[in-house]
Amino acid sequence: MTTHPPDTAPSVVDDDIRLHFEVQRMYAVEAQLLDQHRYADWLELFADDLHYWAPVRTNRLRRQQALADGSPGEVAIFDETKASLAWRIRRFDSGMAWAEDPPSRTRHLITNVLVWAGEQPGEYVAESAFLCYRNRLEREVDVYAGGRTDVLRRTEDGGLLIARRTILLDQNVLLAKNISTFL
Amino acid sequence: MQQRHREPYVDVGPYFDLDHGLINRTIFSDAGLYRQELRRVFAPSWLFLAHESQFKKPGDFFTTYMGEDPVIVTMGRDRKLRAFLNACRHRGMRVCRADAGATKAFTCSYHGWSYDTSGKLINVPNGGDYPAHFEQERWGLIEVAQLDTYKGLVFATWNPEAPPLVEALGGLVWYLDAMLERDPEGTEVVGGVHKWVLEGNWKLAAEQFASDWYHVNISHASALMVMSPTGKGPKTEIVQTPGRQYTDPLGHGHGFPTHPKSRFDDRVVHDWYDYEALRDRLGDARVEGPMTTGHGTVFPNFSYLPVNGSIRVWHPKGPDRMEVWAWTLVDKSMPEEVKDAQRIYNLRTFGPTGIFEQDDGENWSECQATAHGFVAGSMTLNYQMGLGLQEEDGVHPGTTGRLYSDGAARGFYARWRDLMNTPAWHEKDTR
Repeated sequence: MTTHPPDTAPSVVDDDIRLHFEVQRMYAVEAQLLDQHRYADWLELFADDLHYWAPVRTNRLRRQQALADGSPGEVAIFDETKASLAWRIRRFDSGMAWAEDPPSRTRHLITNVLVWAGEQPGEYVAESAFLCYRNRLEREVDVYAGGRTDVLRRTEDGGLLIARRTILLDQNVLLAKNISTFL
Repeated sequence: MQQRHREPYVDVGPYFDLDHGLINRTIFSDAGLYRQELRRVFAPSWLFLAHESQFKKPGDFFTTYMGEDPVIVTMGRDRKLRAFLNACRHRGMRVCRADAGATKAFTCSYHGWSYDTSGKLINVPNGGDYPAHFEQERWGLIEVAQLDTYKGLVFATWNPEAPPLVEALGGLVWYLDAMLERDPEGTEVVGGVHKWVLEGNWKLAAEQFASDWYHVNISHASALMVMSPTGKGPKTEIVQTPGRQYTDPLGHGHGFPTHPKSRFDDRVVHDWYDYEALRDRLGDARVEGPMTTGHGTVFPNFSYLPVNGSIRVWHPKGPDRMEVWAWTLVDKSMPEEVKDAQRIYNLRTFGPTGIFEQDDGENWSECQATAHGFVAGSMTLNYQMGLGLQEEDGVHPGTTGRLYSDGAARGFYARWRDLMNTPAWHEKDTR
């Protein structure tokens, strides 16, 4: 979250292309798992020490913009560990989560992916933009749009896990009755 | 030139037969009744604005709504809290378009009229072009008629004739204090406000928080299941828990299980409280009653969940839509890790992604969606649960009924009906 992409585009070398492709494909798989409501499988993409966080966005005077995105410890839309996400997912699997019965149709679109080396060896920072379209029952439509910043970690078997995710939803008043999916 | 636009008033009496627990559904969707309730329910009532802890130094401000009227709440240089209509006296634009912050003045970005934190008009560009009889001191921001606080909660009203706040809260304070008086130091709110929209009439939510424990076992079955220690759902004695529901003649309501242990709080928060000390401080009836868990509504549109630490306003946004603004309340003396546990517990249960709140939102939007058909929208609804079972039980002050009851909902609508049929102070202005 503290690291920013270099001012110039990364040099186009094979490693960068490979990494970019790997991350983009992981996000496509992730989106598919969410849209198929395969939440337990989705959770496998995250590291055990995960922090999954979506602060609230506020309207602030231009000179007080530093306060526009919620800080850690403030009210948040999500402030989750892997265990608490599992807890939310168990609720969906209870057969009694009426807000998702019948289930919504969602389509997570992930784009504008940028990846660069992270602060720790074997870690990368990946930024992406998301647009999640939710269509529910007859004609309910909600659109959740925003950006994500992930810290990705290379695992011993050569895969990638998401260790941190910060979600900036581009809304002040959440323009939906709830968020019953993940972003 | 003080004439307000007048619209015809409708006698809402025929929509109710509360002695028999009957309510006609028209009150949830009719646009004319909605406009009438802005004038006769919201304008004359004390409405929740903010928590005192949001204002630490002069110039701190927070913007919110009273009914559909935008307001600024701010601390003046005298450290006094004031609330003003957030509308420039010149063309009516909002003079503050930030949610919160700190400022010396509110300057309209249309023509530059500028107001200080006491609402006074302090700058008018091109002032020399106004006529000699232009009296700048008469064009300050419109201030609420009364503003007061109750144990940290800031309320205001446009009604100069409203009784003092503590009188308007009535007998609910005994119940409300089970949340506000846990800590001798009082309460504060966590930074930030959850805000989201719901396609439902505001009364659906206000009524539920006053009265409705009935829905918990069904609507929130999935949440209760994952929260139960076994993960398989609550024990029968919790599902069938006894409890009481307070009904205030001023329309407020508060329901709670009565049990020495039954509670749905966070473990860290639970372990922090000294329940023996709370018994000394608040009495057994409150520790085994409104502190166990539960819900309440201050009429008309402020609700709270004591153990979840959620306080919220149901802002009306037309007959079919409300906006929920929810704060997280913690006790001042709590160590930081306990405050944080309360904050996280609140957002995971009753934030817009919360495992309880998700299902509430679905219920209210579905109730509203069917309210537009002629037949469905004008049918009679059943509010008969607990009829004839309300009494003074000698333990909980005022009139209470069983936990599973529509008692406080009937009280809420009796108050709404009476206000809707009573001319407000502003109608007495005959000019």
